[in-house]
Amino acid sequence: MKILVCIKQIPDMASKFKPNAAGSWFSEADLAFRMNEYDEYAVEEAVKLREKDPASELAVLSVGPARVVEALKKALAMGCDRAVHVPDEEAYRKDPWQIASIIAGYAKKGNFDIIFTGMQSQDRGSAQIGPLLAGMLGFSCVTTAIGFSLEGRTATAKRELEGGAKGVVKAALPAVITCQLGLNTPRYPTLPNIMKAKKKEIAVLNAAELSSEAALAGTEKFYAPVKKGTGLVLEGGDAAALAGKLIDVLKEKTTVLRG
Amino acid sequence: MNFELTQDQKILRDSVRDFVEKEIKPIAAKIDEEHRIPQELTAKMAEMGFFGSYIPEKYGGAGLDAMSYALLVEEVSKACASNGVYISAHTSLCCDPLLNFGTEEQKLKWLPDLTSGKKIGCILLTESDAGSDVASIATSYKRDGDHFVINGTKMFITNGGCRGTGILFATKDKALGHKGLSAFIVDLSSPGVTVMKEENKMGIRGTSTAAFAFDNLKVPAENLLGEEGKGFKIAMETLNGGRIGIAAQALGIAGGAFGRALEYSKQRKQFGKPLCAFQSVQFKLAEMYARIEQAKLLVYKAAWMKDAHVNYSTESAMCKMCASEAATYVTKEAVQIHGGYGYIADYEVERMFRDAKITEIYEGTNEMQRIVISKALVS
Repeated sequence: MKILVCIKQIPDMASKFKPNAAGSWFSEADLAFRMNEYDEYAVEEAVKLREKDPASELAVLSVGPARVVEALKKALAMGCDRAVHVPDEEAYRKDPWQIASIIAGYAKKGNFDIIFTGMQSQDRGSAQIGPLLAGMLGFSCVTTAIGFSLEGRTATAKRELEGGAKGVVKAALPAVITCQLGLNTPRYPTLPNIMKAKKKEIAVLNAAELSSEAALAGTEKFYAPVKKGTGLVLEGGDAAALAGKLIDVLKEKTTVLRG
Repeated sequence: MNFELTQDQKILRDSVRDFVEKEIKPIAAKIDEEHRIPQELTAKMAEMGFFGSYIPEKYGGAGLDAMSYALLVEEVSKACASNGVYISAHTSLCCDPLLNFGTEEQKLKWLPDLTSGKKIGCILLTESDAGSDVASIATSYKRDGDHFVINGTKMFITNGGCRGTGILFATKDKALGHKGLSAFIVDLSSPGVTVMKEENKMGIRGTSTAAFAFDNLKVPAENLLGEEGKGFKIAMETLNGGRIGIAAQALGIAGGAFGRALEYSKQRKQFGKPLCAFQSVQFKLAEMYARIEQAKLLVYKAAWMKDAHVNYSTESAMCKMCASEAATYVTKEAVQIHGGYGYIADYEVERMFRDAKITEIYEGTNEMQRIVISKALVS
């Protein structure tokens, strides 16, 4: 069994985000980064599957700047066998189509039986990588898995549906599974495994050699929501006078009432 | 010069932080109240490799560096100082002298049980009349065939009540002073070892601090650690490294208290404004943060020097002194920022305030640290 897990490193979501100089994405200055939460579920599920079959092999892949090596090392410390880094200092400028094309460019040569990834990234949240990848590779695809098992070449996944209903899906391998909160509890990298991970291979591949696809959609602008004006409290006078004042304000400053 | 942690150190810090957040923080108050660290937590920490951080892999450790060890103790102590010293005393005061002075046979025999957390380690140095004055140790040993026979008492033994593995210091003849001291590896569950008392303490109440009596304790001759008569040197070098552990614990206590004070100052409103909007509170926060950062630089530097195998005795004394004083200062101010709430046990800063004080006292009082530092300057 050959398993691939695709991860992204994202900023700590409790950070204060500021647009970059070009206004095209957030500025990375002063941000702390960590592995995308949904990708942690993907790594855990992949490692669990890997542990069941000693003959299997588990690779972890990430496209992004040098800092993403930290997330790859964490995945190695959680139990992945080897890592693939596709360096791209400006990966944020690539759209999901391009990122999925790069991963597919790598996965095509790898003969993977199953690919796990998060159901979406916590920062961009497009949720497109998994399905796009499955399409490009001609794999089955199950999204938002909250349960997973494998028997022979058939994967069974539990999915959470709108309104809390659950569904069970069976898919033939090869397959892409995108992982949702509730699937598992990711393990902590232990100290001995952090040490062992240091000896594992991190291959560096060239993005341009994996795919030369152009973007289908580009991010035009990144900005903080416009601050709303502060509220206004009308005080003093009787009810009729206050109501009169309110009508004046509504006519003057809003489109609720027209003069 | 580079002040950045390595990627591996960051992964370790974040992993420990996540573990502490979920497994230790929720029960830190209970550990303090019940005066014990639950066995289940010890097992989980053992699985994480907390008991063998920088001990080489061939002895069952993780084989990481001293810097990683400092980060581990710091992160654990942010939530629970008892667990911080539990790990620190075990690693710095028991595993470390075994690693530095033990023979290959001794290391292979004793370290795997310690690094796996099966046995918790401690050092048996202090006696009622021999605290800072190590050369006054009165616990005696005598050679008897293939054994040593040990008699005497020890007190204030951190982790003593675990009755795991101990590094025990005893004298051949008290009149010889420090030249009479030797170190022995002792299984504290052996016959002849009695725990006389568990101390009831101001802080770090989750850890055991025990008094021991040794009544004709028979220790096999092969358990002599290092050369006979070199006990003083072993003790001093061990305490040297131990100071980084205690400094990291103090740094963690200070960081934990600061985090809670900062958060509280943003939430608590008085006179229509959050506390952090008042300059009197802002200045406190600025001073607290600056003192933590000062201490952190010294602690990390001392750990870095230990990893670089350069003499770090002055730095370890300075980092222990500064970090412990930062801890007592920061926890005191954290209580003050919490006002009346800071004085009650429902708010964690009350415990942290009590926990901080010991870091100025144990593993060499801060007065002893000043002696170490000034000796290096003027001698």
